[in-house]
Amino acid sequence: MSASSLSVAAPLVGSFTTEAFAAHLASLPPSLPAWWIARKRAAYETFAALPLPARTDESWRFSSISTLTLDGFTLPAAAATQVPEAPIGIKKAAKLVFANGRLCAHEPLSAELTARGVIVTTLQNALVQNEALVREHLLAQPPKLGSAKFTALHEAFLVDGAFIHIPRGVTVKQPIGVFSYALGATAAVFPHTLVVAGENSRATIVEYFGSGHDTEAQFAAGANDLYASHGAHLTYIGKQDWSHRALSFQSNSTVVRRDARVQSLNVHLGARQARHESLSQLQAPGAFSEMLALTVAKSGQEFDQRTLQIHQAPNTKSDLLYKNALRGTAKTIFSGLIVVDPDAQKTDAYQSNRNLMLSDEAEANSLPGLEIQANDVRCTHGATSSRIDPEQEFYLQARGIAKAAADELLTFGFFEEVLNRLSADDLHEALRVLIQTKFKK
Amino acid sequence: MSQLEIKNLHVSIGDKEIVKGLSLTIKGGEVHAIMGPNGTGKSTLSKAIAGHPDYTITSGEVLLDGVSILEKEADERARAGIFLAFQYPSEIPGVSIANFLRAALQARLADGEEIDASGYYKRLYAKMDLLKIDRKFTSRAVNDGFSGGEKKRCEILQMAMLEPKVALMDETDSGLDIDALRIVADGVNTMRGPNLGVLLITHYQRLLDYIVPDYVHVMYDGRIVKSGDKNLAHELEAKGYDWIKKELATAQA
Amino acid sequence: MKPPTETDILPDSAEAAAMENPAVGIDQSAGNFSYNMEYAFDAGTGLSEDTIRYISSVKKEAPWILEFRLKALKKFFSMPMPTHWATKDLENIDFQKIRYYLSQGQKPKRTWDEVPDDIKKTFERLGIPEQERKFLAGVEAQFDSEAAYSNIKEIVSKQGVIFVNSTEGLREHPELFKKFFGKVIPTGDNKFSALNSAVFSGGSFIYVPPGVKVAQPLQAYFRINAENFGQFERTLIIADEGSEVVYMEGCTAPKFSTSTLHSAVVELVALKGAKIQYITVQNWANNVFNLVTKRGIAHEDAEIKWIDCNIGSRLTMKYPGVVLKGERARGEVISIALANDGQHQDTGAKMIHAANNTTSNIVAKSISVGQGRSTYRGVVHIPKHLKGCKNNTECDALLINTNSRTDTYPAISVRGDKNSTQHEASVSKVSEDMIFYMQQRGLTEGQAMSLAVNGFINDLARQFPMEYSVELKRLIDLEMEGSVG
Repeated sequence: MSASSLSVAAPLVGSFTTEAFAAHLASLPPSLPAWWIARKRAAYETFAALPLPARTDESWRFSSISTLTLDGFTLPAAAATQVPEAPIGIKKAAKLVFANGRLCAHEPLSAELTARGVIVTTLQNALVQNEALVREHLLAQPPKLGSAKFTALHEAFLVDGAFIHIPRGVTVKQPIGVFSYALGATAAVFPHTLVVAGENSRATIVEYFGSGHDTEAQFAAGANDLYASHGAHLTYIGKQDWSHRALSFQSNSTVVRRDARVQSLNVHLGARQARHESLSQLQAPGAFSEMLALTVAKSGQEFDQRTLQIHQAPNTKSDLLYKNALRGTAKTIFSGLIVVDPDAQKTDAYQSNRNLMLSDEAEANSLPGLEIQANDVRCTHGATSSRIDPEQEFYLQARGIAKAAADELLTFGFFEEVLNRLSADDLHEALRVLIQTKFKK
Repeated sequence: MSQLEIKNLHVSIGDKEIVKGLSLTIKGGEVHAIMGPNGTGKSTLSKAIAGHPDYTITSGEVLLDGVSILEKEADERARAGIFLAFQYPSEIPGVSIANFLRAALQARLADGEEIDASGYYKRLYAKMDLLKIDRKFTSRAVNDGFSGGEKKRCEILQMAMLEPKVALMDETDSGLDIDALRIVADGVNTMRGPNLGVLLITHYQRLLDYIVPDYVHVMYDGRIVKSGDKNLAHELEAKGYDWIKKELATAQA
Repeated sequence: MKPPTETDILPDSAEAAAMENPAVGIDQSAGNFSYNMEYAFDAGTGLSEDTIRYISSVKKEAPWILEFRLKALKKFFSMPMPTHWATKDLENIDFQKIRYYLSQGQKPKRTWDEVPDDIKKTFERLGIPEQERKFLAGVEAQFDSEAAYSNIKEIVSKQGVIFVNSTEGLREHPELFKKFFGKVIPTGDNKFSALNSAVFSGGSFIYVPPGVKVAQPLQAYFRINAENFGQFERTLIIADEGSEVVYMEGCTAPKFSTSTLHSAVVELVALKGAKIQYITVQNWANNVFNLVTKRGIAHEDAEIKWIDCNIGSRLTMKYPGVVLKGERARGEVISIALANDGQHQDTGAKMIHAANNTTSNIVAKSISVGQGRSTYRGVVHIPKHLKGCKNNTECDALLINTNSRTDTYPAISVRGDKNSTQHEASVSKVSEDMIFYMQQRGLTEGQAMSLAVNGFINDLARQFPMEYSVELKRLIDLEMEGSVG
């Protein structure tokens, strides 16, 4: 795919022109390896050549297509102004803060952890100092869920991100935090977090995406790579809280090796339209991937979540629970596919999408799918859309609680099932507060 | 009168040997109890005799009325007269108890012969009444949504209807309260007679107060290490399995 | 307390020698058959305007029908194959090699000796009456059902029920049928409804007057003749206000066909308070592409229920649907699919809610044996501003062998907080523990499999009329024997 970039029509690239790309490359430090720059160039060509999603694309079924635009965004040149306060006040093992893709603050690891080989650094540093690891895992999994154009855009314009490596046998007790802010009225950002968990290691990553102001019409195309080696246990919590006028694309990939366990929870709160893709590959026996998501969707918001659980080896397990609460004219789409390869006997795969409809105008779409080619498996999926249970509502009212308060309580209860899956109480509490705050707004 | 002879049986699961040379003869009319700590091979023994595919018999013999059953498939052994009352009976959705038992009985008839429907139902209801199982259960799917006690009683009902020569009862008492235990025991006791040999596998002595055994064997580390009469069970209850382990240790010393 | 009255047929262990799906054994090579070339008119193979004109003239159709057909043919040629979502196997259909119209005497024949043994055995096992066997096996071109047909026709005409074929329906009663013909399923709905609209022939046109409850199920079988061998049937059933009717088509016995393409269209209209139940059991030979469009419109307080069983064919694509047009209308799809080696059952349901307080229920169970593949596709749509609508969907797949395959692709779309939907699907196999348990009670592995599989579909099989559910059980036993060992 080597289309000449000069002959590309404007709508295909929008604000992300060849000039913008050239300026981006020029802004990067010269120490970055050549192979990475070559990949970025190839990614730009792919991005420019691919069309925007069309109504007839199966992988964009039910999505609003006309509101997807690449126009009107700017690529901030330098590090930005004052970064907002961190919203999650839990003790962390280390912290990286990015503003418009550039590191602007950090709290380093303790000397002890550093001595044991734990690495929490920027991608730009890692591309030089941990070149082999980065090369092996950075955007290593092909985009399968429909966002190829935006993943290519991300790779091309990626400025900087987080690189986290936990060496074999090491446990990092406290969470490692990564904060990505988009600052400026039309800023476009491309956050990336790459986590490589070595054999039998343990770690928790907590990530936050936020904007300067809630009215900024920004653009975000982010991606994550999580790699859990043999026996590793990884917990990932992501909170998307972009401005309510932002357009967001996020593509997450998780690879789980033998006897490894990955739990990921994504909380979706911001953006006017957010597309989130999550791919889990269970590659070796004993692998387990738990995929959780919570969405609070308000009027004017559209959340489009696409997932893929692929079982490629015997005796693997996946468990997906995505819960959406819809208010006003909110719209959600959930499309989840479980694929079981012919040799993946004794797969145990579960998928559940629950939509709580809190208004007359809300719209929920579910496309739970199964492609099963092994027979000794247990695969179940379910999708339910309903309003608050009138029996429960009445029960609370009969105890003197007013309807509005009752509904709020029941909605928080709706979310608890997901939050209960987290083993760390402080995280559970912090998330609960975050969600409730958003809900009450 | 029938007889089941187990001769120096060795059973493995995969590479691991569980039963390490067990010999026992059960004659019709006799009730043999096998007790022992968990993991010692009691369940393995009964499943291997019944022909469960997960277990491999590496050496030894099992003869029913002088004929080896080891070359036979599980269903052939069943039709020959072996009955296994499972510790964890399977659920069979959509298949009613009535139809299931009828199919099992029909399988034992010669080609062209048909079960006499009214005779069948008469017998079935009689046995159900005896075991205090509500007659409505005939149309319920086998073990589907049954409580632990209901499942075990359903096993005994099947035993009563199929009239085996040898019954291997695998921890039939686990999960039962005293009332259910009594009903199950009464059911088994009414079937006792010269035509039935019973191997009763149990972890607790309690069951043996209701189904009084003729012989008690203690199984440890894949073998029978001590045999006696019903009093051995009481002694075991009082002294615990550690007593057996100590005895063995001293004997080897 | 009475014993259950359901008769239970047990698998015959004596014939447990590995028996493959008998339908696979049919030899479809042209050499087996003789075509009678004596006829003056012959539409021949291939599809063109001339074919359409020929068909229309033989049937002596009114001009508006010819118009309808010609328009449909144009539409058919202009539409692409839906392979962007459906299986690429569709590309193996050669439209120019198919005979689109067969009249009496043109039906190919073979002798009874030429019928493969396993087919004969299946007839035996399923207890198919002698006279029907020859017809089903393609030895006789006509099933002598005239007697049965005229009998039922007389009974129902006393109630004012009209029960004729499509040609007669459109010719003799246009005032009744024209109103709804092609309205439930418009010509351009999909490529194959367009094809059917161009070349349709045979099928049943039924009108039930207000308040009439037809006591006996009306069967397609009654009126089968050469033309109605089912290639491009067109059925339209109108149940007027408050009336009730049950219609049955197909049979469990493997049906032989030289034509590799069957593309039927079935339109149902249940007016206020009416009830229609449409039961299909399909077991076409393994060379057939069975692509059917079925839809019903249920008005206020009306009910449409599709009961569908798909056992045969190389590829079946069928998504019975109900448009719930009037308040409190109910739609239901009960589906059983069995896919064996070389088969792909691609079935599902469509429920479109278009009024308040409508309910829909979908229960689909599929069994994949050997390399069989079964796919479920569903659409549930509850649009803006509707209240009190409910949908419940359950689809379960049972995979028998390690290389069986199943896919599920439902799409559920709901708006507002006054409606609710629930969808559950699961995939499993018959557990080894369950098989061992049954073997320990004396059943062979094959018998145990049969029981387990019959248990799996038990709830649904019960909804079929007695004779079908009994045959269905026998058929499953046959399929299971082949799958084991």
